[in-house]
Amino acid sequence: MKALVFSAAAVLALALVPLFIQSPYALHIFILVFLAVALGESWNVIGGYAGQYSVGHSAWYGIGAYGAFILLQSKGIAPWKGVWVAVAVAVLIALVVGWITFRLRGPYFVLASIAVAEIIRLVALNWKDLTNGAEGLSVDVPPLKIGSTLITDWNSKTPYFYMGLLMALFCVAVGVAVKRSKLGYYLQAIREDQDAAHSLGIPLTLCKNAALGISAACTALAGSFAAFYFGSFIEPQAVFGIDVSIQMVLTCIIGGIGTVTGPLIGAVVLALLSEALRTSLAQAHLLVYGVLVIVVILTMPDGLVGFAVQRLRRKAAAR
Amino acid sequence: MAVLIQSILGGILIGGIYALVGIGLTLIFGVMRVINFAQGDLVMVGMYVTFFLFQLLGVDPFLSVVVTMPALFLLGAVLQRSVINAVLDALPQNQILLTIGIGLVLSNLAQLAFTSDYRILSTSYSSSSVALGIIRLSTPLIYCFFITAAITVVLYWFLVKTDTGHAVRATAQDREAAQLMGVNVRNMGVLAFGLGSALAGAAGALVAPTYYIYPQVGGAFTLKAFVVVVLGGMGSIIGATLGGVLIGVAESVSAVYFGSGWKDICVYVIFLLVLLLKPSGLLGKSRM
Repeated sequence: MKALVFSAAAVLALALVPLFIQSPYALHIFILVFLAVALGESWNVIGGYAGQYSVGHSAWYGIGAYGAFILLQSKGIAPWKGVWVAVAVAVLIALVVGWITFRLRGPYFVLASIAVAEIIRLVALNWKDLTNGAEGLSVDVPPLKIGSTLITDWNSKTPYFYMGLLMALFCVAVGVAVKRSKLGYYLQAIREDQDAAHSLGIPLTLCKNAALGISAACTALAGSFAAFYFGSFIEPQAVFGIDVSIQMVLTCIIGGIGTVTGPLIGAVVLALLSEALRTSLAQAHLLVYGVLVIVVILTMPDGLVGFAVQRLRRKAAAR
Repeated sequence: MAVLIQSILGGILIGGIYALVGIGLTLIFGVMRVINFAQGDLVMVGMYVTFFLFQLLGVDPFLSVVVTMPALFLLGAVLQRSVINAVLDALPQNQILLTIGIGLVLSNLAQLAFTSDYRILSTSYSSSSVALGIIRLSTPLIYCFFITAAITVVLYWFLVKTDTGHAVRATAQDREAAQLMGVNVRNMGVLAFGLGSALAGAAGALVAPTYYIYPQVGGAFTLKAFVVVVLGGMGSIIGATLGGVLIGVAESVSAVYFGSGWKDICVYVIFLLVLLLKPSGLLGKSRM
């Protein structure tokens, strides 16, 4: 109950932010954090709860981005409708991929997930009629109207701020819902001991596929949001590259995987750090990710959240 | 027909390099059960060392193997002692993430130091070729193949004939039994990681005259090395050699018949098929 009141207050406070802060840069930082939260929570469903470390989630991110762009450019379908088609496509492909790769375990699954993402990236690069190849796609975002009243023309950061906030909230809510559902308990059983879960009658492949589908849907949603937000231009390396997948994984690892708060904290820490160091490191801002992940795995393998919980417990025990 | 033979031969030459990177990966996996995702980035480091040796001191890239191998051996041994050793008993996923982190650090440090410019190392023989009847093969690739073969033979000799080699193989077969027989398995880990890195460094030096050199070049090598190792069977050195050559040939033949944009897709599809149909690889024992 306390947590619920606290979260509601936090959301309300966030929703009021654009009324007090007009600086586009400050809003940009908030939007980056929202995006990182959405991506972290999405990956957490399959990587955290189910323990299936996919390093190929750029596939769903990129399909979300490309799907919405292609529908807008060639069919004139507005992004807020096209997104859902893109999400559906991502889920369908994810289910096929899951059906094939979930018979693999541990490192073999990691390798297969990378190979799948690479195949999809190469298809995007080479299927020039659909994707315009390495030159990429750029679109103009049409103004959002309901009936004939103009809601926004997307020229300021504020509409993106609210969309980003909604998206992040949605992904957090999905995380909470999955974790507390029957599916969530099945997934955690699979993570802890796959063979034991199997012998108890938990349908392994079905559960993993459900988790992958949910995870891919949220990732695709975030992918198309990001594509429209980052200057309405996409090319295969930027959205399908392995960097995207690695950032998603690291957000969860650094925060603490398999918890709802972990990716939240990881997203805030990573987004702020990499933004703060962006000017001094320029292209090499992934250096922060590399150093952080090494430090976290060596010193606090359960992430920042796990580390904090352990500390608190120790303090409580000392008393 | 000439085209086919030409592409098969070209594939075998390139496959030697993939084999070299793959053997490094499989050696590390065999002894320590760690999948090294930074393998390609070690190749990248080897390429830069070779590039600067050539640029600043005029050392021929194929001669510079004698510098890059020890240098990378040291780098690998230091990485093993300082970082990797601490996660030997951790979850495999955490080991993978740790090596991904090391790869990110290496490639981004290279980017900070040398910018993301593509560099080309061009020697007097870079674009020359040797004619064998109707077939032409690129000279640097031929040199590269023979040096690769020589390194592989020396490595076999080391592993099969020397006491240290026996100890390395014993550790790979059964860590605890090896320890009981008096093998210092800790040192074997350092040695294996050093050797694996040295092989990556050698590969970097050997491909420097034929590839673009840039900080992110490692990713492609890492993925290829995995394909090679899984195809041959995790932990099997002969398997990795065979896998390297097979992947080289598959890549170059599919480039000819499907277009160069699609060759990597063929490689990854083969990879997935092997994972699904024969996950233990062509010569490996099943460890699933």
